[in-house]
Amino acid sequence: MSYLDQQFDALLKYWPDEDKNIRTLRTDSFDQFNTIGFPTRRWEEWQFTDFSKFIKKQYRLSWSEDLPSIPKSIPGLIPDLNFILIINGHYQSQLSALPDGVRVSTHLEDFNADQNIYTSGSNQNPFHVLNTAMMNSGVPIHIEPNQIIEKPIQIIYLTTDLSEPLMNHPRFHYHIGENSQATIVEHYIGLSDQPYFVNSVSHATIGKNASFNHVRIQEETESASHIASTHYQLEIDARLNATHFSLGGELFRHDIQITFNGNGGDATLNGLCLTENHQHHDQHVTVDHQHDSCNSHQLFKYILGDKSSGVFNGKVIVRENTKQTDADQSNKNLLLSPAALMNANPQLEIYSEDVKCSHGSTTGQIDSEALFYMRSRGLTQRKATELIIGGFAEEIMKSISNENISDYINEKINQWLRSSNNDD
Amino acid sequence: MLEIKNLHAGVDGKKILKGVNLIIKPGELHAIMGRNGSGKSTLANIITGRDHYEVMEGSVTYNGKDLLDMSPENRALSGIFMSFQYPVVIPGVNNTYFLRAALNAKLKHQGLKEMNGVDFMHLIREKLNRVQMDETYLTRAVNDGFSGGEKKRNEILQMLTLEPTFSILDETDSGLDIDALKIVANGVNNFRNNERSFLAITHYQRLLEYMEPDFIHVLFDGEIVKSGDKSLAIEIEKKGYSWLEK
Repeated sequence: MSYLDQQFDALLKYWPDEDKNIRTLRTDSFDQFNTIGFPTRRWEEWQFTDFSKFIKKQYRLSWSEDLPSIPKSIPGLIPDLNFILIINGHYQSQLSALPDGVRVSTHLEDFNADQNIYTSGSNQNPFHVLNTAMMNSGVPIHIEPNQIIEKPIQIIYLTTDLSEPLMNHPRFHYHIGENSQATIVEHYIGLSDQPYFVNSVSHATIGKNASFNHVRIQEETESASHIASTHYQLEIDARLNATHFSLGGELFRHDIQITFNGNGGDATLNGLCLTENHQHHDQHVTVDHQHDSCNSHQLFKYILGDKSSGVFNGKVIVRENTKQTDADQSNKNLLLSPAALMNANPQLEIYSEDVKCSHGSTTGQIDSEALFYMRSRGLTQRKATELIIGGFAEEIMKSISNENISDYINEKINQWLRSSNNDD
Repeated sequence: MLEIKNLHAGVDGKKILKGVNLIIKPGELHAIMGRNGSGKSTLANIITGRDHYEVMEGSVTYNGKDLLDMSPENRALSGIFMSFQYPVVIPGVNNTYFLRAALNAKLKHQGLKEMNGVDFMHLIREKLNRVQMDETYLTRAVNDGFSGGEKKRNEILQMLTLEPTFSILDETDSGLDIDALKIVANGVNNFRNNERSFLAITHYQRLLEYMEPDFIHVLFDGEIVKSGDKSLAIEIEKKGYSWLEK
């Protein structure tokens, strides 16, 4: 019996009164997970990421006794936002503050409303399926129709300093009502030097003519394995502006899907990864154009130091007979060390003629001419390097309109630059 | 004062300068002319400390200090500046931020108080005026999307802001139309005084019509083969370089 079997049994015993349909969903998903198994490097979509070390570790699910006393100051809190606080997988509703027009529900309610959300987008991804089997945290969030939520909502998913290896399987559903507009910051932050495993699934349904800004911040410690799936579904004329920022985790894998469910959708997805030491960040993006007049824009940047490695795999599919598709995808990477490694694989699959598509990927080092230019104006090599890297990141940061959020991330970038030894 | 003595130097093991001697005193503007490949840019790169350039023999001192021992940033902080022939594009780095960081590095080096954002904006607006650049400059990234003329004017703007005591103008006239050339030359002329000295590198005489040199030197095959006053430029314009070449 594997540790996962034991943990799954423990979970079923922990919630004996759980709704029987959800129970069936869990057991079906767990069976499915056992059939699929953990990925190996022979799987095409997983070939650049090595799970052999991860598989040897064992994690225990977080229970209510793992909820520590609430820290006086909450790490990662961005000023002047609404927020939802989850500590070691436990939702702290009494410490959360939400405005009118926003509602947190339960997975039972969501499941009864639409079971498909729980299985759509899994694509035989073992971690997605494992999350469905073991989901133990996270909440569905509903933005009611015709609401403009001015202040962004920050979800802080905090892992505190642990005494043993824990795992959590957060599940977030964002329901953005018709004609509504909202910004949600999904923020993972860790403080533990113990190994821990966060396996998240997020699903956003963006209603007709709604606007959703999603900022995902992943700043786990380097003891963490953070695996994630995010699926965005855009209804007619819906707009998505997503920015994903990741600098944490020893192992980070994120599968992102964008699906257009109607005509006229517009999706912008930008990402910035900062890695150092032996970190590995792997992002797989699939954008599926199956309706007319939809736009998608992607820009992913990686800044890799030391012996860290990155993978970007982006796929844009334009289905047969779709009209007026405008899609572009760009991946740019900066290697700060000769030992850093990047695998980039942008792909287009176009089955329609009425398209405007472009894609490209570049990987390079710090421009020595730019470095000399700045030094010749009196800036130290270190300061010049910081400015060049900051300038490289700037293109991604532009897509975040809330200044408190971009200030927070910029400060993280600056801290990262100051602490890394990558300019030697 | 810049003093170059018997300078033999090159790049990647190839010797380009073969014994250059030159003294530039405060307040003087010297022009170095010569064909492509004569060693003009190598001289500029040696003075500013670009990577991969090496000195085989000789010395370069500035106000008595050995320049060749200093990092590029320390040379800059000591008052050396170069207007680049090909100014570098630095995506995502804002002009205002960059220039203020450079100015503050210099003020700090001189033991002076660093300049806050408000004071800097006053200063930069006044300097912008002098090179006839508009305020959109302030929000753009360094040289990003700049036309050739804008890039050269930006170099002069940086010079006016950082106030170096010795400035190299490396082919500052190339790629400029006559109006832009006048703006650039005016910027330099108004900046001249009896303490600041200049080394203008050019292969056209045109620049020197607008920016009057005290001395002109002709560089050929890594050596100064002729020095003179501004009439030398006129002679070169008429006769070309071949009469000076051994």
